[in-house]
Amino acid sequence: MDTGRCVKNRKINKIRKEVTEPQEYSYSEKTCNSHREVGDGAPAENETEKPELMLTNKMNHSPSRIYLQLKIDVIAIGLLILALCTRLYKLDEPRHIVFDELHYGRYVSLYTKGVFFFDAHPPLGKQLLYLAGSIAGYDGNFTFDRIGTPYTDNVPVKALRLVPAVSGSFLVLITYFLMLELSLHQWTAILAALLVLLENCFLAQSRFMLLESIQILFGLCGVYCIIKSTKRIGLTALVWLCAAAVLLGCCFSVKYSGLYTYYLSLFLVGRHIWLQLDQIKSGTRLLFSALWRFAVLLIIPLAVYVSVFYMHLSMLPKAGPHDSVMTSAFQASLQGGLASITHGQPLHVAHGSQITLRHTHGRTCWLHSHAHVYPVRYADGRGSSHQQQVTCYSFKDVNNWWIVKRPDQASLAVSRPPDAIRHGDIVQLLHGITSRALNSHDVAAAVSPQSQEVSCYIDYNVSMPAQNLWRVDIVNRDSEESTWDSIRSLVRLVHVDTGSGLRYSGRQLPAWGFHQHEIVADKVLSHQDTIWNVEEHRYTKADDRKERERELVTAEMIPTAVTQLTFWEKFTELQYKMIAHAPDAPHGHMFASEPAEWPLLVRSIAYWLSPDSNAQIHLIGNIVTWYTGTISVVVYSALLAIYSVRKRRACEDLPPFVLNKFYETGYTLFLGYWLHYLPYFFIDRTLFLHHYLPAYIFKILLLAYIMDHIYLVLQLHEKTKHVTNLFILCVTIWLSYIVLTFKKFSVLNYGNVDLKENDLMSLRWKDTWDFILHKKI
Amino acid sequence: MASWYINRTFFFDVHPPLGKMLIALSGKLSGYDGTFPFEKPGDKYDGARYQGMRLFCTTLGALVIPLTFLSIWEMTKSLEATFIGTLLLLCDVGFMTLNRYILLDPILLFFMSCSIYGCFKVSTLTNDGLLPFSPRMLSWQIFLGTSLACTMSVKFVGLFVVLFVGLRTVADLWNILGDLSKPVKFTITHLIVRTLTLIVWPFVLYVFFFWIHLTVLSKSGNGDGFYSSGFQARLEGNSLHNASAPRVLAYGALVTLKNHRTGGGYLHSHHHLYPAGVGARQQQITTYTHKDENNRWQIKPYNRERVEGTVVVRSGDLVRVTHAPTGRNLHSHRERAPLTAKHLQVTGYGEDGVGDANDVWKIVISGGKDGEEIQTVRSKLMLVHYLQACVLTTTGKQLPKWGYEQQEVSCNPNLRDKNALWNIEDNVFDDLPKVSFESYASGFLERFYESHAVMFQGNSGLKPKEGEVTSQPWQWPINYRGQFFSGSTHRIYLLGNPVVWWTNLAFLIIFFLVYIINSIKEKRAEAFGVSRQVGEGSLLLNAAGWTFIGWALHYIPFWAMGRVLYFHHYFPALVFSSMLTGILTEYLLSSVRSYLSPELGKTAYHCIIGVVISTTVYSFYLFSPLAYGMSGPLASEPNSTMAGLKWLESWEF
Repeated sequence: MDTGRCVKNRKINKIRKEVTEPQEYSYSEKTCNSHREVGDGAPAENETEKPELMLTNKMNHSPSRIYLQLKIDVIAIGLLILALCTRLYKLDEPRHIVFDELHYGRYVSLYTKGVFFFDAHPPLGKQLLYLAGSIAGYDGNFTFDRIGTPYTDNVPVKALRLVPAVSGSFLVLITYFLMLELSLHQWTAILAALLVLLENCFLAQSRFMLLESIQILFGLCGVYCIIKSTKRIGLTALVWLCAAAVLLGCCFSVKYSGLYTYYLSLFLVGRHIWLQLDQIKSGTRLLFSALWRFAVLLIIPLAVYVSVFYMHLSMLPKAGPHDSVMTSAFQASLQGGLASITHGQPLHVAHGSQITLRHTHGRTCWLHSHAHVYPVRYADGRGSSHQQQVTCYSFKDVNNWWIVKRPDQASLAVSRPPDAIRHGDIVQLLHGITSRALNSHDVAAAVSPQSQEVSCYIDYNVSMPAQNLWRVDIVNRDSEESTWDSIRSLVRLVHVDTGSGLRYSGRQLPAWGFHQHEIVADKVLSHQDTIWNVEEHRYTKADDRKERERELVTAEMIPTAVTQLTFWEKFTELQYKMIAHAPDAPHGHMFASEPAEWPLLVRSIAYWLSPDSNAQIHLIGNIVTWYTGTISVVVYSALLAIYSVRKRRACEDLPPFVLNKFYETGYTLFLGYWLHYLPYFFIDRTLFLHHYLPAYIFKILLLAYIMDHIYLVLQLHEKTKHVTNLFILCVTIWLSYIVLTFKKFSVLNYGNVDLKENDLMSLRWKDTWDFILHKKI
Repeated sequence: MASWYINRTFFFDVHPPLGKMLIALSGKLSGYDGTFPFEKPGDKYDGARYQGMRLFCTTLGALVIPLTFLSIWEMTKSLEATFIGTLLLLCDVGFMTLNRYILLDPILLFFMSCSIYGCFKVSTLTNDGLLPFSPRMLSWQIFLGTSLACTMSVKFVGLFVVLFVGLRTVADLWNILGDLSKPVKFTITHLIVRTLTLIVWPFVLYVFFFWIHLTVLSKSGNGDGFYSSGFQARLEGNSLHNASAPRVLAYGALVTLKNHRTGGGYLHSHHHLYPAGVGARQQQITTYTHKDENNRWQIKPYNRERVEGTVVVRSGDLVRVTHAPTGRNLHSHRERAPLTAKHLQVTGYGEDGVGDANDVWKIVISGGKDGEEIQTVRSKLMLVHYLQACVLTTTGKQLPKWGYEQQEVSCNPNLRDKNALWNIEDNVFDDLPKVSFESYASGFLERFYESHAVMFQGNSGLKPKEGEVTSQPWQWPINYRGQFFSGSTHRIYLLGNPVVWWTNLAFLIIFFLVYIINSIKEKRAEAFGVSRQVGEGSLLLNAAGWTFIGWALHYIPFWAMGRVLYFHHYFPALVFSSMLTGILTEYLLSSVRSYLSPELGKTAYHCIIGVVISTTVYSFYLFSPLAYGMSGPLASEPNSTMAGLKWLESWEF
């Protein structure tokens, strides 16, 4: 990034120095290039990307001499060093668990041990943390129990925090390059980079094991590459686009909010093609150029995403604490856990099989019955059948066992060879402990009266005959003849008399049903809650009832085949669960905030409080940058409206190149901001300030751009030209004010200073910021 | 609902009032006396005169069809497009079903169609170059404004049509602005006139409808509890009506404390302890929504039993709060609350007002300064626990049986909790002069504002529960599943005519493609100087574009909604979608025709139109029993009259 090698004509062979005065604006690409050749301090990187051009230069002017020269962009290096200094300073302090390190640290430990876990975010960020941890030799033996617990010596805190910290530092660098690439003035690029550097919220977010800085870095690099690619043609464009695609894939493999960056890139590419429409005459060439771009942008990120998950699943072969979220088949494919129970159980369900039936999708529970009956009358006055309750129970229990029986056979012992049940067969299900048959009839269910009640049949002689025949519908069958396999087959049990399906209704029974979940028979078969699978399974050996019960209680396995799932099956299931997973995050978290509060920095987040002093860490922004950023969004919208109206009235105030830059550069940043911000208004979840950061970085860039634009407009007119110096002065004062604020609030990022009460009060610039004070007792 | 208006009792509903008021009016005129309870669908109307109301709704629903006809005509001036678009809507079974009953939807659809028609009329007039102040222009704009206000006042989804008209108006103004032969002043006059007629006027009307609503409903009813004390004081029959109490709170006064969240109850305690295992075994504190002797509390200074004379309580004072009937103090300590793990438990502690240091609370007016007097009803209070620095809240969660299913009260360490606000309702203190409650009663604007806050809260509170079947937006355009309208013997099932709906769906996609291809062609033609004739085609395509925007505006926002959704929410979008199909059919047919020879083209054109019409009408005939009522077995069984029509597994008729 920082050094570039380049063959070039003779004049410049010294290390470049930083320019001291803003050069006059270079009004087009062409002039810009010519300036650079004289060596006025434009960054070297831009030139390295044009080898062909350089080569022809060389051919023409100095065919005999070839120089190999090393160029270093001092500005870039300087920014990077500054960033690294601020981000890495005393990185291992505090040696306590800070905020979400709790989760991410825990995941790193689980990775180290190879234990499967379930998280609603994609895994790349956690894998990177794990990589750093494993290089530093972390053994995974630390329990991340709550925020504020001190780390023991075996946790390489520094290494783990290094990944986000370095990403956060490179973030400063990439803003610089991105702004240059958006063909803005170098000073603007420096300004943008400085604003990011001096932003407390990025500092705080980069210093701990959090994923935002990684995600934003990937995202901005991706956008940078996209812009590079749209400015070039042929092979170079393809290379840049591929790089962008990989980076964007990484971006949304860290956090799903990276998808917004991806959409922004799609927009940029789409816009590029749209602009090409009236430049390329050949229709086939146009089509081709559109096709390969979108193909690259579609396939590569997806491939990255899938391979990240491939690594994820292959890194985590062991069963762990979150198993129960997944289906039986998935669990059985992990080492230990369910697999060790089901290992070696018979595959085909046959007449006489003893099974547990698990509700496959959604809530984990097993079909259950117990020796209690439905109450004669419910609270709302409806009557019931008063037969034995059938429920869905979320814990393993001996009452979850059922025996499969063909209606016409009396003996329950499994014959040899086993009489396998196939798709479409009619069976009865006997409850293992009570030996009553699963039954349904035209009685309204307890909590969902629109569906039929399901019970275990007791004959009261009240002209209510047993209706206990069920047809086995195997949903994922290969052929009409396929057998009912344990774990693998998804079955629907259809009641023969009424055509209703056995279904988990999602509602809880009242106290008489021990708050277990209700089971009904529902007319709508297609609902996914009607799908069940056999989890544990064994063959009945004895025919005697007492014997059978003993068998159930002292379970024992017959070894046969093992369950294997392909990667794709696991992948799709994991994706499905991640989408369906509704986080039961505590509503009304103390430091939660609303999207509408973000632009004005109403709330901060407390990350950590020292146990013995008032040193503390908060996620809080640099309020000066924050407010001017918000103003810049308003200014841009206003200018956009004014310019459009002026244009509509055919008044050309600005030269076209200024206006074009205003639309193109501004659009990218403005749209980037809204794309990352607006969706949060529609998300029904507990939200925090750090969700705003990806949008905020675009806002900072927009702010820098607005400065650039104002400067440019002032330069354009004779009258206002002398105001430019005043403007530069204002910006300098504003910038120094930002530096001061940054310094003042950085104590809340490093958390290494014990703050007195009045120190804290002096930092509390807004009433709504909550800092924490130990009580003196 | 209409019954409530006729009896003038107050109620709470999540929708604005106009639709219900109109139904009530039609009921009143046709002699309905407001006595029928309307408890659940399927009940028989025993002699209640419901026909008038039904006739009213159905008439409005039927009027949507001619209005749609006029709108498409206004946009395209093409009889074929107009005819096909309207026919599709006319032959849609679902649309008919929805419009046949006493529902808000026919009224909503009627006003919405009026708005659409008005909107296109205004834009045609603008294109004709009518001056902003010409009477014709002005009267149409007022018509449009009125329809907008009415749409908004029937249901809040009317907001989408307001957005649509807004966009259309901006586009009109943009066109006027682009006409360089006219001065800018001309555009500004247009802008001013439109602001007046399309923003100010509808807003005034909207407020006026609420004014009627609040004036008509002057009696206390079952909706009272949702509103604040000040609101309730306005309602006849409510205990707060005509009551009186001292204006400020003084030490020693007996008070009731009402929680400020909507539907919040009174702070309550009773002679029962928290059961073993739930924190300390001390007396329960709950909130209770009914009035009761056990809601009375006495305010005392933190260090003395009584105060001589009349000392007014001020914000920032330290107080003890004693439960009057049992003599226990409001108390909190480091034990977790019964239901909310992160909060502290609140109990009643001590004997006859003697407790310990954990009984001290700081009384603070939210948003006020220290030292302000605390006023009855008006002040929003927070009770901050002095030692634990937490605030008295109600979490709104129901306690189990041991707590008599009253609501949990806890002490929340987060001082910003919105449920931590209380106000004093009753205030018994003899030494201060009493002021009538009338003076606290909120004025119209406050009540207007409050009823909106409550409505929004009610709307967002309609969340689907776990396991409940809700209709999801993706199911709507494909007509995936309908909705039962009535009982088991004479069944009515709201389901769109699949022929119409699937055609509409296909045409939405076709439009998308046609539009993209067309704009690419246009751009390239412009750049490379190939001349293309601009004619009727672009007019049609432009009209189709607007209907597409209308459809998107009425459909896409539902994806982002968290509340319970129903199938019938799609019908406003369906109106636009049918218009689009009509217009696009004509566009495609005429472009196909231009490729063929005149003779052949004419024949093909007529054939296709004939096929379209007859298919639509026949499918209406097939599916009409859905709307007129079916009896007999379900369609899944072979002997049913509807056998063979169950084209999708998910249909439940």
